[in-house]
Amino acid sequence: MGRNLHEQRVERQLLIVLLPSLALLSAFVIYPALYSVYLSFTNEALVGPGALAPRLVGLRNYARLFNDTKFWNSLLVTFVFVLGSAVIGQFVLGLVCAMALRRPIRLRRIFSSIILLPNAAPEVVAGFMWISMLSGGEHATLSRIVAAFGVEPADWLNTFPLAMIIVVNTWRGIATAMILLTAGLSTIPSEIYEAARMDGATPQQMFRRITLPLMMPTILLYMLISAVSTIAVFGLVYALTRGGPGGATELVSIYIYNQSFAAYQLGYGAAVAVIVLIIALLLGVGYVKAMKVEI
Amino acid sequence: MAAIAPAESANKGRSDLLAYATLSIISIFCAIPFFWVLLASLDGDAQLFLRWPAQWTLSNYARVFLTEDGAKWLFNSLLVVGGATLLVMILAGLGGYALSRTRASWKLPLLYAILLVRVLPPTALVVPLYKVLLTLNNVEATFLRSLFGETARPIMRWTGFIDGYLGIILVLAAMQLPLALWIMKTFFDGLPRDYEEAALMDGASLLQRIRRVLIPLALPGLTAAGLFAFMAAWGDFLLPLIFLSSPELQTLPLGLFRAFLRVNTIDYGLLAALAFIYLLPAVIAFGFARRFLVQTFAGGVKG
Amino acid sequence: MYTVATKRLAQEGKNSNECGIYGGQIFDMGFGLIQVWNRVHFSHDPEEIVRKPREEHVMRKSLFASMCAIGLVAGLSTANAETIRIAEHRQARIDALKAVVPDIEKKYGVTIEVVEYPAPEKDYLTKILTELRAGNAPDIFTAPRGQDVADMASAGYFAPITSEVQAWDGYGQLFDVAKQLVTGKDGQVFVLPAMLNVQQLYYRRDILEKAGISTDQPKNWQDLLDRAKEIKTKTGAYGLLFPMGVTWGGGAFGEGFEHLVVGTSTPQLANDDGTLNLSSAGVKDALGFYAELIKNDLMPTQPLLGPEPWVVPKYEMFPAGKLAATTCGSWCYIYDWGPKSKNPIPNVTSVVGTWLIPGKDSGAYVLVDVDSAWGVSAHAANVDLAKKVMLELGSIKADIAYSQGLGNIPGRKDAAADPEFQKMTALVPVIAAVAKGKYLKTASGFSAVSEGVARATEALLRKETDAAGAQKILVDYVKETLGDEMVK
Repeated sequence: MGRNLHEQRVERQLLIVLLPSLALLSAFVIYPALYSVYLSFTNEALVGPGALAPRLVGLRNYARLFNDTKFWNSLLVTFVFVLGSAVIGQFVLGLVCAMALRRPIRLRRIFSSIILLPNAAPEVVAGFMWISMLSGGEHATLSRIVAAFGVEPADWLNTFPLAMIIVVNTWRGIATAMILLTAGLSTIPSEIYEAARMDGATPQQMFRRITLPLMMPTILLYMLISAVSTIAVFGLVYALTRGGPGGATELVSIYIYNQSFAAYQLGYGAAVAVIVLIIALLLGVGYVKAMKVEI
Repeated sequence: MAAIAPAESANKGRSDLLAYATLSIISIFCAIPFFWVLLASLDGDAQLFLRWPAQWTLSNYARVFLTEDGAKWLFNSLLVVGGATLLVMILAGLGGYALSRTRASWKLPLLYAILLVRVLPPTALVVPLYKVLLTLNNVEATFLRSLFGETARPIMRWTGFIDGYLGIILVLAAMQLPLALWIMKTFFDGLPRDYEEAALMDGASLLQRIRRVLIPLALPGLTAAGLFAFMAAWGDFLLPLIFLSSPELQTLPLGLFRAFLRVNTIDYGLLAALAFIYLLPAVIAFGFARRFLVQTFAGGVKG
Repeated sequence: MYTVATKRLAQEGKNSNECGIYGGQIFDMGFGLIQVWNRVHFSHDPEEIVRKPREEHVMRKSLFASMCAIGLVAGLSTANAETIRIAEHRQARIDALKAVVPDIEKKYGVTIEVVEYPAPEKDYLTKILTELRAGNAPDIFTAPRGQDVADMASAGYFAPITSEVQAWDGYGQLFDVAKQLVTGKDGQVFVLPAMLNVQQLYYRRDILEKAGISTDQPKNWQDLLDRAKEIKTKTGAYGLLFPMGVTWGGGAFGEGFEHLVVGTSTPQLANDDGTLNLSSAGVKDALGFYAELIKNDLMPTQPLLGPEPWVVPKYEMFPAGKLAATTCGSWCYIYDWGPKSKNPIPNVTSVVGTWLIPGKDSGAYVLVDVDSAWGVSAHAANVDLAKKVMLELGSIKADIAYSQGLGNIPGRKDAAADPEFQKMTALVPVIAAVAKGKYLKTASGFSAVSEGVARATEALLRKETDAAGAQKILVDYVKETLGDEMVK
């Protein structure tokens, strides 16, 4: 009896402690998000009659979505972008770095510091740096590098736009992957490796049979986090390509921005954002199922 | 280390070499873009493409602080982002603890809700957010003006929600809070309850438990959460762009954005110098907090 | 709810002109505060909040008396000037504005605060529209292009200034075309046409003369296209640039499409009934012109696909002689190729000549539009004062300051005749052209048309479709955005 009361008191205290965070989140994150959902059912706009007297239009924005090729294009671009940079690029390179850095080599500190640098650069600066690398035809730094290998320089951002932004985002995110995966690797006790080596396992076998399975929870967590944060990438790509040329790099976030602020269609932009939210929700559900996590 | 047979040591040597090689290549890949910023900022006649400066000079940096408002921008950025980070650390520290220790039924949905709501690109949230802040701002302005009259205006610069330090700090903090809460909660999950139980047995109240036991233990996690919050808020320029107008409140990314789009031609030397100054605090913060990062996540990823 | 209550209070407060303005304001604030307090502690029904003001009439009277006293004291002790906030962007514009601010401050005894906005037009619009939408914008601001005015007006952002402008002493001096551009079909005026921009074709006279190509005024579209082809074959340079594509923002529409459309069989797009005339043959012909340009490789395409598409063609290729002709405006002599620009052209007024824009089959004209017209925010704290200040921005001195900095044309004839303006020899001949100017009447929905044209020309730029297909893109987009019934 007394213990229950005590527990209740503790629960209440914990709730009080949580309250400021919840208040801040409700006002500045949850309420605007809910309001955005409401907006998606209106024809609200920044100019024109839609600004003066917006009205509910039901599912018209969503119907428009389904018929809009630019919308489906942005989903496709985002999918390829996430796949290329988060799922493949950052993960592979991050894993390689994580594993390589576990070895007792000298200069470990220096290597890890350099690899963490891209993540430290603010988006705007990263954008400028890569503009210098990629634009300008033969003057671009990348062109000069590949010229040393005998490859023809090209107008990178215009000829291979999607590939380029995947490279840039990979560059930016190696650090996050590396940190997460290092943490995961460190939870695998070294005795297992010792035992396997005694049994004569090759490094490849050790990797496939020990490292990967034991790392699964970490890998899945990384996939969820990086997929969700890559979907939200906006500034970096916008600075590089503005979503062009011709929508080749128009991520969903850029599409929303263009609809809301270039075309002034707030309601429609909100509808697209809601779809993105649903997709992220599905990803989250997938993660939970895969993990069978209990909190 | 156990003794290793010669064949194995040769293998090990080869693997080490491989590790060196891959790390070198990846490091070069990571470092190359930074060269331009560094070199161009020291170049008297900088261009967009990378080149060895013909004339080395520090005039670009001097100009940032003397002709442009570099010092003001830097101060504002540090104040605003630093304030937001501090706020996030406090709130996430408390909130993460509460989320970890509570056994309420709404815990799981809440956690996923706050994480997934961050998927909404900020561009979709700007207009509703502006309305919320504006309402708050008007209430506050009304209140302050009835108390202080005209001096309310300078006060509003600090406490206002639109075009005021308080507002932008709160908004930046709110944006980083979800991830920070998640990090702290995971961190506390990995922390054994023994210490708290011991303090509890000794009759310590919640506040004392927090102060004496948890804060020291939570420091690695707090640093990690604080670091991520700082980095993300430092790079944010959309929110300051929309919510700040006065020249006195401009932050570094806005200064970057503004000063170089004012005229038709871009002064790359100045741009690079400003970019470098903008880079520095983020890099320093990262270097400072690096050690705590792995520690934090090791606890969390066990599942 | 709260905003409704305070709005009503603000109106009622303005009617109580006893005890001076200050007493009234403090009273409003105080009463607003009481409303908030009530709402938090007593009322749970939102509807009640709105109904409450009537019930509180009695309370109001007694409060009024005490507030009156406070207000008097406050009003006597703080003789503060009102502040008018003006939004401006781009350094050249800000400098021009600041040149005239002191005079205005002295004349009306106000403090003017110039609020700086992001320079790129798109970002300026993003920020100011967000603020306008929430009702929090500065008192005076500009609509960058003519096509923005109607949409901002129908969104209720501007306070109507019809009577004020017509009573203004500068009104009689305005060019007729300036008056026509800002007067809506119901006779309402929302913006002041202080400055105009005049657009036509600019070409490198030296390159054409050297290659022996005629520099006569092209008589129609075919003549113009042939001339461009001749330039291409005889000199290797690109023959003609018309802005196209999405990244050029409002440029595809405002710096090219308008020019073409007014010279076709459908010279106006806005119908009297509020619909938009987009399915016509004239529109298709205009888009066909673009298709011809691309088909014959007469203009650079790569830069138009990337960010800041105007930089390479206008600031680099044209001065270097790799592009021989382009659409441009009076500002180009100063801003794009003048002494302070990125790649100045020496002797620019003799090296760069101008052609009028030919109509499709005949005729030649310049395209006139308002340039950054000034308007007063409907939510300004003191709308009347803001209107007075705004009209000052159309003074001769202001017009000349802006002309000197930016190269656009004053909207009033006496400013054009002023000796200070006459010193700008590059711009003086353009004044004569204003009388020959054609313009496109804008209406609500034009921002969607502008975006639609950008998308249509983008498709043409990427050779994905032909003129008919491009027209379909334009029509479909506008129908989707504004509704099927808006497009004819």
